[in-house]
Amino acid sequence: MSILTARGVVKRFGGVVALNGAEISLSAGRVGGLLGANGAGKSVLSAILAGEITPDEGEMSFDGRPISHPSPRAARDHGIVIAHQHASLVPDLPVWENLFLGAERRGWLGLIDREGSRTAAAETLARLSPDFDIDRLAGELSSAEQQLVEIARALLRKPRVLILDEPTASLAHAEVDRLFQEIRKLAAEGAATVFISHRLPEVQEICDDVVVLRNGQTVGSWSIGDKLDHDRLLSLMTGEAEVAAHQRLVRDIGPVVLETTGLAVTPRHEGATLTLRRGEIVGLAGLQGQGQEEILEALAGGRRIAAGRVRVEGGEVRPRRPSDMIRHGVCLVPGDRHRQGLFIGQSIEENLDYPSACVRRRPWILPFAEIRRRALEIIGRLGIKTSGPTQEVAALSGGNQQKVVIGKWLPLATKVLLLSDPAKGVDVHAKGEIYAAVEGLAADGAGVLLYASDFQELLSMCDRVLVVYDGRIVGEFAGETMTEFNLLAASFGRAA
Amino acid sequence: MRALRHAGLLPSLGMLIVVFAINVALQPHLLTRGSLSSNIATFAPTILVSAAQAIIVLSGELDLSVGTGVSMLNCALATLPELVGWGLWPTLGATFAIAVMAGATNGVLVAYVRLPSLIVTFATSAIWFGIALFFRPQPGGSVDQVFGDFYAGSVWGVPIALILVLVALGLWSVLQRYPLGRQLLAVGGNPVAAFHAGIDVRWVKFCGYCIAWCFVYLGSLAISAQTLSGDSRLGLPYTLTSVAAVVIGGISLAGGRGSVWGAAFGAIALGLVANVIYFAGIPSIYQEFFKGIVICIALSFTFIVGRRKAA
Repeated sequence: MSILTARGVVKRFGGVVALNGAEISLSAGRVGGLLGANGAGKSVLSAILAGEITPDEGEMSFDGRPISHPSPRAARDHGIVIAHQHASLVPDLPVWENLFLGAERRGWLGLIDREGSRTAAAETLARLSPDFDIDRLAGELSSAEQQLVEIARALLRKPRVLILDEPTASLAHAEVDRLFQEIRKLAAEGAATVFISHRLPEVQEICDDVVVLRNGQTVGSWSIGDKLDHDRLLSLMTGEAEVAAHQRLVRDIGPVVLETTGLAVTPRHEGATLTLRRGEIVGLAGLQGQGQEEILEALAGGRRIAAGRVRVEGGEVRPRRPSDMIRHGVCLVPGDRHRQGLFIGQSIEENLDYPSACVRRRPWILPFAEIRRRALEIIGRLGIKTSGPTQEVAALSGGNQQKVVIGKWLPLATKVLLLSDPAKGVDVHAKGEIYAAVEGLAADGAGVLLYASDFQELLSMCDRVLVVYDGRIVGEFAGETMTEFNLLAASFGRAA
Repeated sequence: MRALRHAGLLPSLGMLIVVFAINVALQPHLLTRGSLSSNIATFAPTILVSAAQAIIVLSGELDLSVGTGVSMLNCALATLPELVGWGLWPTLGATFAIAVMAGATNGVLVAYVRLPSLIVTFATSAIWFGIALFFRPQPGGSVDQVFGDFYAGSVWGVPIALILVLVALGLWSVLQRYPLGRQLLAVGGNPVAAFHAGIDVRWVKFCGYCIAWCFVYLGSLAISAQTLSGDSRLGLPYTLTSVAAVVIGGISLAGGRGSVWGAAFGAIALGLVANVIYFAGIPSIYQEFFKGIVICIALSFTFIVGRRKAA
C-alpha cells in the first residue's frame, strides 16, 4: 500500500528546469532507491517530499489524501523526515541538543527534559555508532560524524516516511551495516524509505524498488527482485546518446606542460596523478563532490596542498597563492561565478583587468588606454553582448557574465587553463561560444583541464577524459572507449 | 570548566580578574561593603543593557537602538507623572509597555519585514530619541524618591541592584532550559539548519527582541533610580558600550555562540576600567584617551590567549 506519492512534479529555479514530470510512489514497509546522474533532480525531489521546497506543479498524496505541505514542520507532522546529504546542524550546540532541535522533549513546567533527551539521544546514536559522545559540539565533528547525527535525528522522529539523501557517502562499512539494520527495522514496522546513493552494491542490498530520474523526469521504476539490472539502470540514467555534432579544431599536441603526482588536498586521500600536454583538452569526469574542483583549486594556488608534487614545463612549482600560479601562466575559471569569479557591480573592463595586475611590470599604475583596448578585444573575441566595456557586469545575462569570467584569463593562461564547470547554467548558444574560445586557446598552445558535471560536454570537447573518484584518477578514456556509458560506469567505481 | 569554555567565558573572566586586581591595588577601599554595593549600583544599567544586546547578538542580529531606548524610557519615567498625573506604579507599567512595543517594533522590522538589523535599528534609534525629546525637550522632571531609595537599599545585606542583576540573568538561565531559549541560539548559529529543523525562525528572532527589551527596561529603571530625573541624552553611550561588552564577553558577532553572562562580565570589566583610570589619578581630559588604550591592551591580551587555547 502506498503511503506517499508524487506525480507530475515540476520545479524551475529561474530559467533552469530542475524537475520536469518527476513521479515517485512509496509503499509501506519497502525501501525505494532513487537514482540518477549528476543534476538529475534527486535532491530537489526529496526536498519537495520533505516540504523544504514548494513545487511549481504536480500533485502529492499521503495515505490516499491529497496534501501540500508548505514547510518542513508540516511534513514532519505527517511523519515525513529527511536526512540531508550535507548535515544541517547548528555548530555551537551539542550533539544531543541538535538531535531534538525544533522537537524538544518537555518535562516538568515545560522545561526541556534534559535527562530524557540525553538518554534517548545516546541510545539512538549508539545503534549507529557505539561510544558516540553526545556532549561534543556539532561544529567539532568530522563530516562522517555529522552525517551520523543527521541520520540519528531522522530516526528519532519515528518516521513513517524516511528520506535518506546519500547517507552513506562518508560512512565506514560497519556504520553502513548498522544503518541498514535500522532501515530494515523501520521497514518491518511499516515505514517507507527513500534511499539515494551512487553506490550500486548498496542499492542492491537494501532497496526493494528503484526509481530512475533523468533530466528531472522519472524514466523508469521497477522492483529489483533478485538482481539489480545494472545495464538497464545505466542506460536509463544516460538516455540515448545525443551527441551534438561538434566540429573540432585540429590542434597540435605538444610537450607536457603540467604534471602532478599524488596531488591531494587532504592527507587521507591517495591523490591525483595526471599529465597535460600543450594543445590538449583533458576532461575530469566523475560524480559530484569526488574532488574534481579541489584538484583544480589546488593547482591554481587557491587551496592548500596536503601531499603530492606539481610540475609546470618540467620545473617543480609549489602553488601557494593564486598570484604565483598566474605568473606561471596557470589560471582557473572557478565554478561559482558570482562568489568566486566576478565583481558584480563593476564594469566589464574592470573585471577583465584585475588579474593582469599580477603580471604587470608597474602594477601601481593603471594603463587606461591599454585596459580599454584589451577589453574591446576580449569582448569581440568571445562575442560578449554588451553596450560597451564600461557596462556593469550585473546587467549582463548569465552566459555573458561567464564569458567575462573566462575572458579575463585569455591573455594570461599561456600554459594551462583550468575550468571548473564553465557551462553550468549557461544557455546552449553561449556555451558554444565559450567552448570555441577555450578551443582557440588550446590551439594557440595552452593545455586545458576541464571539469564538467555534464558528461556530454566532456565527450564533445576533450581529447582524453580522466575519471575522478575520491580524489584519485580511477580511469582514463580516449578515442573509442570514450563513451558516456564507460564514464558513468567508472564514476560509480565499477570496471566497464 | 568545559561548560565555561563552550560558552566562551574564559577570556572575559580572565580580563575581569586582571582589571579587578589592578583596581584593588589602586583603590584598596574597593573591597569594603559600601564601595562594592555602590559600584554594583553604578554598573547595573550597563550590565542589563549589555545583556539585552547579548540576547539579540546571539540570535544573529544587532540592535543599535538600545541606547536611545534607555533615554526614551528614562524620559517617560520622569515625565509621565507630571504629564498625566500618574503615580509610581502606573508609570512603571506604562514604561514597560513602551519598552515591549519598542522591542516588538524592531523585531517586526528585522524578523518579518526582513530589513538588515544594523540599518533599521539605527533608524529606530532616531525615532526613540525623538520620542525622548518629546517627553523631555530639556533635562528635568523627576522620578519618585521612594523608587531611588528602594534601589539604593538592600535586603538582608544584599544590595537591591545586585538582586536585580542576578534575578534578570537568572531568568535568562531559566529560559535556556526552555525550547525558545535554545532555539534562539540555533537561529543565530545556523538559520538554515534551524529552518530545516522545523523552527519558526522569524518568530524566534521576534521573541528575542521582545525579551531583550525587557532587559533594556530593567536597565533604564536602574539608571533612572540613580539620576531621579529625565534626560534625553542619558542613554546614548549605552549602545556602543553594550556592543563592546558583548564582544569582550566572548559572544560571536556572527551569532549563536556565547552566553549572556559573558556580556555581564564584559560590562563589569568595562566599568572597572573606568574606575582604574579614575583612581590612577589621570587628569580628566586624558581619561577617555587612556580608557581606549587600556581596553585595546586588555582585548588583545585576552583574545590572543583565547586563540592559543583554541588552537
